[in-house]
Amino acid sequence: MTVAIRRRPAIASQTVVVAVLVVAAVAILLPFMWLAVSSLKTEAEIFANPLAIVQTLTLSNYASLFAQFHFGIATVNSILISLGVVGISVALGGLAAYGFSRYPFRGSRLLLGGLLVTRMVTPAALVVPLYLMMNALGLLNNLVSIILGIAVLNLPFVVWVLRPFFDALPHEIEEAGLVDGLSPLGVFFRIAVRLAAPGLLTVAILSFIAGWTDLLFPISFSTTPEAGALTSGLLQMQTGYKIYWGSLMAGGVYLTLPTLALSFALQKYLIQGMRLGY
Amino acid sequence: MRRGRARRLTGFGLTLPASVFVFAFMVYPIASVVFLSVHDYSPLRSSATTFTGLANYAWLLGSDLVHQSIWITVVFTVVSVAIELAIGLALAVLLARAVIEARSRTGRVLVRLLSSAYILPFATPAVAGAIAWKILLHPQFGPVDALLHTDIAWFAQFPLASVIVADAWKTMPFVLFLLFAAVLSIEPEQYEAARLDGANGWQEFRYLTFPLILPVVAVTAAFRAVDAFTKIFDTVFVTTGGGPANDTQVFPLLIWRTTFDFLDFGHASALAVAAILVSAVLGAGLLALRRASTA
Repeated sequence: MTVAIRRRPAIASQTVVVAVLVVAAVAILLPFMWLAVSSLKTEAEIFANPLAIVQTLTLSNYASLFAQFHFGIATVNSILISLGVVGISVALGGLAAYGFSRYPFRGSRLLLGGLLVTRMVTPAALVVPLYLMMNALGLLNNLVSIILGIAVLNLPFVVWVLRPFFDALPHEIEEAGLVDGLSPLGVFFRIAVRLAAPGLLTVAILSFIAGWTDLLFPISFSTTPEAGALTSGLLQMQTGYKIYWGSLMAGGVYLTLPTLALSFALQKYLIQGMRLGY
Repeated sequence: MRRGRARRLTGFGLTLPASVFVFAFMVYPIASVVFLSVHDYSPLRSSATTFTGLANYAWLLGSDLVHQSIWITVVFTVVSVAIELAIGLALAVLLARAVIEARSRTGRVLVRLLSSAYILPFATPAVAGAIAWKILLHPQFGPVDALLHTDIAWFAQFPLASVIVADAWKTMPFVLFLLFAAVLSIEPEQYEAARLDGANGWQEFRYLTFPLILPVVAVTAAFRAVDAFTKIFDTVFVTTGGGPANDTQVFPLLIWRTTFDFLDFGHASALAVAAILVSAVLGAGLLALRRASTA
C-alpha cells in the first residue's frame, strides 16, 4: 500500500525529468542541425526566409569545397597532421607515462610535475617563438611544423591521462615477464601495451581530434593551400569583402563529420578521456 | 643495489624521448621568447634585434589595449564557466536521476540517446561550432532574429555575450559528463534514507547530492576556468576576430595579432611571457588542487 502511494509521484516526476532532458537535448543539437540543413540549401534559399522549409536539396555547396577551396589537398593534409600528432603523442607519451608509473628515478616526480604544468601553456604564447624557430629551420609552409606544434602541446595531456592508467594495471603479469627474461622494453610492448589498450585508444582518439580541429598552428605556420588544413581552409571563405556562406556551412559540416562519427562509435572512450583528462 | 640502479636508468630512458621533445619544442622556445621580450624586433621596420631592457614590459603595464584585453578575458572566463556549471550541473543531476529510475528497456535506450545528443558540441570542432553560431545569430538570415522579429547583429551589438554563448555551448558537455559521473558514484542507499525521511527532490539535491559532489564541482570549475582563460582562441577568431573595436580581443588573440598582424615580436614576446607565467602559476595551483582532492 505504501509502495503504491510512493510510486505514483515518482512516475509523474520522472516524466517531467525526461521532458526537460529531451528539450535540453533538442536545444543542444539545434546549432549543428541548423548548420547541416542550411548547408544543403542553395545560396538563394539561404538568404531567403530562414524559417521556410527547404525547397530543393543540393550538394552544390559541397562540390564548391573541392572545386573552389582546395578541400581535396586540405583533407589529405588534415589527415596527415592528425596521424602525425597521434604517432608522436602515443609513442612518446606512452613510453614516458609507463616510465613514470613503473620506474621512478631521482627527480622523476619533479619532471612529471613540470611536464604536467606545461599542459596549461597558452598555445598562442608558444606560437611566437615557435614561429621564428620553424622559420629558421625552413619548416614554414610544411606540415611538419604544424604537427610538431600541435604534438608538443598535446603530449603533456597524454602523459597526464596515461600515467594513472598504467598505475591502475596489475604489476604481477609484467613482473612475470621480467622473470622470464624479457627486457623492460619487451615487457612494455608485449604486455603493458596490450593491457593498457583501452587507455591508448582513448588517447589516440583525443590526439586525432586535437590534430584535426586545430586552427592556431595552420593559420600561423602555413600561408599556401598546399600546406593548409581544413580549419584554415574554411577561413578562406570569409574574406574582407565577401563571405561564401554556402561553402562555409558545407565546410563546417564536412570538418565535423569525422569527429562526430568517432565520438558516436567510441563514445565510451571519449567520456573516459574527459574523466581522466582533468 | 645493481638492480635499483638499472631500474632508475630504465625509468630515465623511457621518459627521455618525451623530455627531449618537450625541451626542444617547448622549453627552448620559451627561453628564447624570454630573451626576445627584452629586445625590439619588428621585421616590418627593421631586421635588427636591439636590446631595450624592460621597455616591452613597461608598454605592457601601461597599455590600455592590454588592460582591456585582460579584463575581457576575465569576464569571458567567469561568465562562460558560470553558465557551463549551472546548465551542466542541472542536466547532470537530472540525467543521473533518469538513469537510476530507468528500469525499462526503452528508458535505457532513451538515456543512451540523450547522452549521445549531449556529447555533440564536445565532438564539434570549435571552428565549425563558431560557424554554426554565426549563422544562428546572423541579422538577415539567422533563425534567432527571425523568431524574435528583430534584426539584431548579435556578434556586432553584443559581441562578448555572443562569443560566451557559443563557447559555453561547446564546452558544457565536459562539465556535464564529469558531474554526471560524480552524481552516479553516490551510493543509492543514501537516497533511500533521504526519501524515508520525506525529502523532496530539491531537498535531496540541496542536502545530499550537492554537498557530496562539491569537491568534483570545485575541481571541474577550476579546471575549466584555467582552460578558458589560457586557451580561448578559435571561437573568437572565427566569429568576431576580436572586434568590433577590440571588444572581444581576448588575451591569446592579442598575442597572436601582435605577432602576425603587426609582426611586433618584442611586444608579442612580453605578452607571451606574461601569459606563460600566468599559465604556470594556474597550472601548478591546479595540480596541487587535484592532488588534494584525490588524496
